Amino acid sequence: MSSGRSSSRGNISEDEINELISKLQALLPSSRRRGSGQASTTKLLKETCSYIKSLHREVDDLSDRLSDLMSTMDHNSPGAEIIRSILRS
Amino acid sequence: MARCQGTVESLCQGLLDLDDDKFSAMCSAFGYLQEWPDLSAMCGANLGVPAVAAAAPSAGDGNDSSSCSGSGGGGFRKRKPDEYLDAKGGASDMSKRPRGKQLSGLSEIAAPGKGKQERPKAGTKKKAEAASTAAAAAAAGQKTDYIHVRARRGQATDSHSLAERVRRERISERMRYLQELVPGCNKVTGKAGMLDEIINYVQSLQKQVEFLSMKIAASNPVVSFNIVEDLFGQQLKQACSPAAALPAMALPAGQLEPSCLQMSPMQQVHPSAAASSTGFGLDMVVNNLYAPAAASCPVSAAPSVSVAAGPSTIEPCLNVIGTAAWDIGAHNLFSGFDAQFQSVESDCLLDNHKMEM
Repeated sequence: MSSGRSSSRGNISEDEINELISKLQALLPSSRRRGSGQASTTKLLKETCSYIKSLHREVDDLSDRLSDLMSTMDHNSPGAEIIRSILRS
Repeated sequence: MARCQGTVESLCQGLLDLDDDKFSAMCSAFGYLQEWPDLSAMCGANLGVPAVAAAAPSAGDGNDSSSCSGSGGGGFRKRKPDEYLDAKGGASDMSKRPRGKQLSGLSEIAAPGKGKQERPKAGTKKKAEAASTAAAAAAAGQKTDYIHVRARRGQATDSHSLAERVRRERISERMRYLQELVPGCNKVTGKAGMLDEIINYVQSLQKQVEFLSMKIAASNPVVSFNIVEDLFGQQLKQACSPAAALPAMALPAGQLEPSCLQMSPMQQVHPSAAASSTGFGLDMVVNNLYAPAAASCPVSAAPSVSVAAGPSTIEPCLNVIGTAAWDIGAHNLFSGFDAQFQSVESDCLLDNHKMEM
């Protein structure tokens, strides 16, 4: 954590919080499409919630697909052999 | 007055039992002939039917001033405040409940009127809150577009600060929800710390998704195999199986795994990482062979894989292979790979990786 984030005193300045909030906003997909003018905190937090949930779902989905791909691969194919060797390492 | 009320109370009780003769006798005795009818009516209403009192809160107000208020109050005093609050709650916008005691009697509630509602009172909060919850629930059913805020003890009550408080409560509610979503957020307190955690978590999730999707896209090793085979035809079949080439590519990507695992504790990434790493490698091979800017290819691919903590470990390996492809030329590609593979192997330090060369 950079020193600019939170001071050791315990008092976190308004600016730091605003900086964090704008950083978070930059991560969200919704703010990329349109010009991110306003940063209503409530809406931002709500979007973060939904975004995190959708990311969770996406990761689960992708992992499922990958594991399916793994299981359907031909066992004797070279690819499977490589995967097994890598798994062993 | 109290003595009078007590007498009246007993008289009211008695009235219900009396028949007409005794009634008239009593009337004459006390000389309240004019007031009896009113008194009886009021007392009858108060003692018998609370609903009547509820239906007419204004009548209840009127009752206060009468001498029967004390008497009748004993019966319906308990019910009246609730109904009174209900009626008042429906009418007002920001319903801040009076903090006075419930059983304090009508006069206390009715006298200040609406002013009471806007003044939070440092009284018995719990009882009033219980009443206000019930009342608020009833009122909320009627008017859903208004926000019912409870003015706490010692807090300002003007509309601005109230709206501000509502906003802050909403924000803290969302933060709490986020805290549940983001693991490890419980240890950190304070807005900035939590925000930091959330940002890191979102970034790591994004990278995870990117990594996984890239692996899926790249992990059709069959396709890549065909391309490589078509290109180099005989040479590939002569030399070791194409599997030999793959580990060379896979090794650096294999290095990707442990760092990935460190970064994200997802277990299902592990097997899938292996699967797609092969495809990854093959893509690199194809890229290297085709593109003149071989040096740039691995570099361009590596940043997208910069999920791992060590992209630097990947790049040199790939660069070596890329340059090998270029320098040695297509016809010597495979032998070039052999040599380079050995060097790569030593670089990547995979001891248990047995290759048939």
